[in-house]
Amino acid sequence: MELQPIYIQILALAIFAIGLMVAISRRNLFFVLMGIELALNAVNLSFIGFAKTLPADMSVAGQIVPLFAIAVAAAEACVGFAMVIMLFRKKESIDADNYSNMKG
Amino acid sequence: MLALIYFIVLAVIALGAAACVLLSRHPLYGALSLIVSMVSLAGIYGLIGSPFLGVVQIMVYAGAIMMLVTFVIMVLNGARDSKTPMFDKVSLFVIPAVLVLAGLVGFALVRAPLAFDATTLRGSVALTSRSLFDVALTGPGYFMLFEVLGLLLLSAMVAAVLLAKKRLGSVVSENTEDKH
Repeated sequence: MELQPIYIQILALAIFAIGLMVAISRRNLFFVLMGIELALNAVNLSFIGFAKTLPADMSVAGQIVPLFAIAVAAAEACVGFAMVIMLFRKKESIDADNYSNMKG
Repeated sequence: MLALIYFIVLAVIALGAAACVLLSRHPLYGALSLIVSMVSLAGIYGLIGSPFLGVVQIMVYAGAIMMLVTFVIMVLNGARDSKTPMFDKVSLFVIPAVLVLAGLVGFALVRAPLAFDATTLRGSVALTSRSLFDVALTGPGYFMLFEVLGLLLLSAMVAAVLLAKKRLGSVVSENTEDKH
């Protein structure tokens, strides 16, 4: 029994599914954002796992792209939580259903 | 064999912490278990040969981003949603749908032939810095992305400051103390 690439992909898939569930089904705005972070983490893990199955020169992209994904996630969290602060000031509630007035 | 044992331990910790995020009631507990999940994922990165990404994961994700998250949760003290339920009726449909999606993708993954390549490069600091900054060797692509990323982070910071400011564009707001 050795470590197989498919184990890494299955783990990434499970974490992505949990993150998607958190982002869609929880009603707290914080949990929605944290679920997105969890799903982004799973995508990074999948990237690195696939990079390990490629030969030398092609595996470099799988080492670099997660760095950019982490930085974009930092920007996303920054703006997202500033929006949560703004919404909380406006309605004193972090239930996502209270902010459904833009659904048309 | 040893790598598999380490992987299983770290994967169980990561999955358990992710399940804690799904099931915890207070956002602060969710954020703390999310940090545990990220740290064990960083261990997996180091295990499969990307130590630099593991360190970046701990420093940027578990350090900076989750610090921001816990800070915002603690600033908004009313964030404890003791009144609003954790899940609603839509979750009854969402969770099976996500599970079915994961099952389909997992089926496709299991059927795909995957194997570790022996010649794959270790994601060390030297490799990362060479492919990011050695423009003569790898072309300007990654370096340009790196510069654009600096602009993106700067604009995100400005947007966050403007969004979280109390009253936009009024002179009074710059002098008065925030009461919240």
